[in-house]
Amino acid sequence: MASSGSRLRRYALLLVLLAGFGLVMFRLVTLQVLQAEELSARAGRQHEKTVSLEGPRGTIVDRHGKVLAMNMEVPSVFGIPTTLESPAKTARQLSSVLPVKLDDLERKLRQDRSFVWLARKLDPEQGRRLDRLSLDGIGVVMEGRRFYPKGPLLAHVLGVAGMDGEGLEGVEYRYESYLRGEKRMMVLQRDALGRTVFPKSLAERSPVSGHQLVLTIDEVIQYIAEKELEAAVSQAQAKSGSVIVLDPESGAVLAMAVSPAFDPNALSVLNKGRLQNAAITDAYEPGSTMKAMVAAAALEEGAMKPTTMVFGEHGRMTIANTVIHDHEKSGWMSFAQVIQKSSNIGAAKTGMALGGQRLYRYLEAFGFGQRTEIDLPGEGVGLVKNPKAWGRRSIASISMGQEIGVTPIQMVSAFAALANEGILMKPYVVSEVRDAGGHLLKRVAPQVKRRVISPETAHSVTKILEGVVTHGTGTEAAIPGFRVAGKTGTAQQIDQKTHRYSRSRFVTSFVGYVPADNPRLAMIVIIDGPKDKRASGGSLAAPVFSSIGEQVLSYLNVSTDRPVTLAMAMPNF
Amino acid sequence: MKIFTVLLGVCLVFMFVWERVDMVRVGYQIERLKRDKTVLERQRDELRVKFSSLSASNRIAKLATEKLGMSLPQQGQVIMVQSRPSVTPSADGAPAVVRVAKNYLPSRRD
Repeated sequence: MASSGSRLRRYALLLVLLAGFGLVMFRLVTLQVLQAEELSARAGRQHEKTVSLEGPRGTIVDRHGKVLAMNMEVPSVFGIPTTLESPAKTARQLSSVLPVKLDDLERKLRQDRSFVWLARKLDPEQGRRLDRLSLDGIGVVMEGRRFYPKGPLLAHVLGVAGMDGEGLEGVEYRYESYLRGEKRMMVLQRDALGRTVFPKSLAERSPVSGHQLVLTIDEVIQYIAEKELEAAVSQAQAKSGSVIVLDPESGAVLAMAVSPAFDPNALSVLNKGRLQNAAITDAYEPGSTMKAMVAAAALEEGAMKPTTMVFGEHGRMTIANTVIHDHEKSGWMSFAQVIQKSSNIGAAKTGMALGGQRLYRYLEAFGFGQRTEIDLPGEGVGLVKNPKAWGRRSIASISMGQEIGVTPIQMVSAFAALANEGILMKPYVVSEVRDAGGHLLKRVAPQVKRRVISPETAHSVTKILEGVVTHGTGTEAAIPGFRVAGKTGTAQQIDQKTHRYSRSRFVTSFVGYVPADNPRLAMIVIIDGPKDKRASGGSLAAPVFSSIGEQVLSYLNVSTDRPVTLAMAMPNF
Repeated sequence: MKIFTVLLGVCLVFMFVWERVDMVRVGYQIERLKRDKTVLERQRDELRVKFSSLSASNRIAKLATEKLGMSLPQQGQVIMVQSRPSVTPSADGAPAVVRVAKNYLPSRRD
């Protein structure tokens, strides 16, 4: 009896064990076979983390490798309001570190949310101060931020990158595809504590940084141009101003300054209109600087010679019911003097001697009415009317630089063609593209657009333009020890209310190149809307040209092209 | 022979386990080094930005004029002259360029 009871217990125990084992087997089959796919995916989600990584935006440097724009990882701060015990206390502690008002911080931290941004893209020092606080419920993630270490320097050319690192203006926008870092999805493995162990595939590599851009700009020349321009605009109480310095032989832009400037590091407080690079976008009526182009066309076509005598009509002439005045009442004068004295009547007669068709052909050849194709966004085309609509008055006006709209970059490129023996070059600001390791990927070669005039004509025009500086309207552009060729311009502007030329609003300018016999610099200086109604290109813009030119030539170690004796150079010896 | 096979099997199992454990250990090490690298890269970038900002021409000019009492040479005070090759020939035979300050006072340097 006892043995049958014992057997029964053994069987019962065996049955229980078999049932248990069966259950385990059933569960095992359910987990490993029936739910294998779903559970495997769930496990993957738990210990694998897919992150989208983007390489840092490329750096922008000047021609000597000085950093003008670069990316840096900086802290962004977030809060987890649902985990906070005392939002008010945390807000008070944070307000000493973050550039956010205490009320705003407290309001954000009182929200019934599990995540809220408190401040983004802080300075690294602010991040370090925050670390020292080590607050619960407050976290930090690192994000890329664009820095412009030189502040407002070259801001209009560099442009800006937005909060999400995308180029919005200038070189940042134009070269977005080169500057943007590579985007890549990466699968990382995490341990039980959520720490990253290593990438799932050992072959995975980090995303590549954006390319580095090397500009043609020289930081020192840019600084000189901006400093002198700002001083002149401020002194003249002018509306705005711009300066462009080119290497006439290659078309490389050495400096491009626009006043008023802005600091691209303070993007959030900027007005969008302020970012516009007026040196390439805005058209203005150039006034007398256009006479240099008309002179070049007339000499090339044989319509005039430097010695051809032109009658100045004693300062007053009527063309198509319009009276043209000269500021100086001249009688007979040579063609060279027409340009040097900036005679409107002489220029009008030259234009009419050329005729509308030929004048238009040369304006087009010098690049007016079309983009220079500089590698910056938003370039304007200016305004050259259809020659079919030109009457005698239009020909006269255009020859004096009225009834035509040009951009500063067009005008300085045209003068650079005179300096470059008649060859028009394409202006450019990016000279090289390099990878993040500094290896050269692309070099931009100077690009010839066309020959506009012969070298002989270019030399003749240069001699005439030298006279403008030695004894004409541009004497203030002279640079001691150097031969300067250039032309002044003072153009009335259209009054938007009356649609007539204003007597009080005008643009003053000086365009030229130096040294005249072997030009190293071509430069335009524009001062727009000076307060003094008597100001002119000769009195306002020419001194700026001289000042910038002298400093830049000294910086570039260009030796004087006039004989200087030691006694002259050092009178104390 | 059997014992040898069993031992070999056990060794292989241990080697496999050791390899897996070591992979995880090296994985942590790689991640730690990566974090160190990132921190160092951030420091490098911060220093580059700082260097670039401190060496800006406008800052240098401001310090030179306001703190050190320097001034920019006035127009005509710096003249570039070329010495005649026959008098002072340079190494490559090209005329040497000499920068001369017009109001240079030798006594100030002494």
